[in-house]
Amino acid sequence: MKLAEALQLAREPREDGIPFRVNLVCGFAPLHLETFLVAHLSQCNPRYRPVVTGGLYGDCAGNLERVSEAECDGVALVMEWQDLDPRLGIRRASGWGLGDQSDMINTARLNVGRLVSAIHKFQHVTVVICLPTLPLPPIDVVPGWQEGPLEIAIRGELSRFAETLAALPRCKIVSGQRLDAQSPPADRFDVRMELAAGFPYRTKHASVVAQCMAQLLAPPQAKRGLITDLDDTLWSGLVGEIGVESISWTLDQGSQIHALYQQMLASLAESGVLVAVASKNDSTLVRSALARSDLIVGAHHIFPVEVSWKPKSEAVSRILKAWNIAADSVVFVDDSPLELAEVKAAFPEIDCLPFPREDPEAAFALFGRLRDLFGKEVVTDEDLIRSETLRRAQDLATDRTSARQTEDEFLRSINSTVTIQIEKDAADPRPLALVNKTNQFNLNGTRYNEASWSAYLNNPKSTSFVVSYEDKYGPLGKIAVVAGRKQGSTFLVDMWVMSCRAFSRHIEHACVATIFDHLGVEEIEFMYKETPRNEPMRDFLTALLGSPSAAGRMLSRSAFSRLSAFIPPVKVAAHG
Amino acid sequence: MDDIEKRLTDCFRSVFPELDITEVSRASASSVGSWDSIAMLNLISVVEEEFNVRVPIEEMEQLMSFELILDFLRRTNAH
Repeated sequence: MKLAEALQLAREPREDGIPFRVNLVCGFAPLHLETFLVAHLSQCNPRYRPVVTGGLYGDCAGNLERVSEAECDGVALVMEWQDLDPRLGIRRASGWGLGDQSDMINTARLNVGRLVSAIHKFQHVTVVICLPTLPLPPIDVVPGWQEGPLEIAIRGELSRFAETLAALPRCKIVSGQRLDAQSPPADRFDVRMELAAGFPYRTKHASVVAQCMAQLLAPPQAKRGLITDLDDTLWSGLVGEIGVESISWTLDQGSQIHALYQQMLASLAESGVLVAVASKNDSTLVRSALARSDLIVGAHHIFPVEVSWKPKSEAVSRILKAWNIAADSVVFVDDSPLELAEVKAAFPEIDCLPFPREDPEAAFALFGRLRDLFGKEVVTDEDLIRSETLRRAQDLATDRTSARQTEDEFLRSINSTVTIQIEKDAADPRPLALVNKTNQFNLNGTRYNEASWSAYLNNPKSTSFVVSYEDKYGPLGKIAVVAGRKQGSTFLVDMWVMSCRAFSRHIEHACVATIFDHLGVEEIEFMYKETPRNEPMRDFLTALLGSPSAAGRMLSRSAFSRLSAFIPPVKVAAHG
Repeated sequence: MDDIEKRLTDCFRSVFPELDITEVSRASASSVGSWDSIAMLNLISVVEEEFNVRVPIEEMEQLMSFELILDFLRRTNAH
């Protein structure tokens, strides 16, 4: 991004945007970095209206200590060497002598310790840290092509600092490797501007640093599913032409890039990403090929496998239905530009990526792109069972169709248990993830960031239920969150989301019953708001209340008790 | 107005959006109220990006008007 564009973006904040207050902490004049941070935050999350504030010149640690957690939604700490010791900058000339070296290391250690202490105080907001990105000045006595002892010691202090911070749940460190790729180290330092104005970055470097920080402060929603082609994508060769034994993915056969792709898919699947196959092929051959024992991505990683000679968009449509997720959460990978175009035409929201089978450099870049699209902070228990859950859901649907029972009789027969944890712990990432990525069974579409979610839970009047479910088809993990406030004999439900994987099991009825029974209220008021995608919530409330509109969103205990629907058994766990 | 003048006008408008296009060619530190030290640094950086030039440190404080910056760009054969 050029500075002119950043100035324009920073000048035109979205008036109706959600205020997102970021404290930019650095020891130099923030100048263009501040402008770029506002601009990149606006781009990362167009719903935000970023407000970036800075601190005093030359006092990085002090600026961090003065930040009030209550007055910001995120902290962006941009460090440079002079923040460890002013002698490591160029605006002071107070000694690079041999006698200064041990003192520089001690000062660096003290300042690093001060930063760690200051960072520890942040309990509810994300702290994003960019470690020094500029070259160290020539302080060592050795020539520049040799690592000197002082440089090694200073970098060691910084490395321990980064290791300490990486273990803190709300700290995120900007990737040095990504910075190197986007902003070559030799093109970063603006010595002239540092001397003239105390701003050490060239504009392009300032933009790259700000972009990386904005991506950590306002991360994009991670994609959830990947649909892959088979021939010349998952493996090398056309299985229909050369046979099951001749398709390959090995170094010896010149098809290692396909092995790496399989390895990438296995890794994604193990982190909870859904992986499916859409292939124009012979289904018997595909079944045999996918059963090969040397396949790196396991058959258990893939669900469903859609093989036919019909347009791939039809296969994609069936996969989306099986996964029950929106097209904009999905990536489609195929070596054929024609297939990519056909799927893109049918599903413009899907990211369609070519598999560059004859260009190893591009294939390697594709793996990095996939990690960016699917990357997540933590892998939850729900991630580990997601694919298996969908398989079992299909079993359940088949059993439900074939059973000669009513809906309630069938649900009674599957040994279901709903567990409700009454929780005020913002450290559990799963509830916030559910709140922010659930669209269909969603009371009003309200989204939260880490700071606002933490503030909501910390409100003494608020209560949140985190709902887990299990039946004879296996556990679904944590699949719903209900949050609200008790006002007299009424419980106001501010937010209610449930994963689409949990539909049709009457878990929502169990939630309502628990609110009445556990909180002892006589009425529940639902803060319902229609969104473009929350039809399942509207249907449920209509069945419950007659209408989800403003006039009829109140449910009394007696009205609920008149409903004769089956309610699965509920266990309420101790307060978290 | 030649190509350099047009692009320099855009640079000025990105830093001083309140300026009418007809006022830009006469703009100077004394005539534009928002022309402070920060705006000056923004302007220099935007011009450097647009014309791929580097303004020497000793010239920075001299370039206090549209005319002077235009003259600098012509002297340095910016394109």
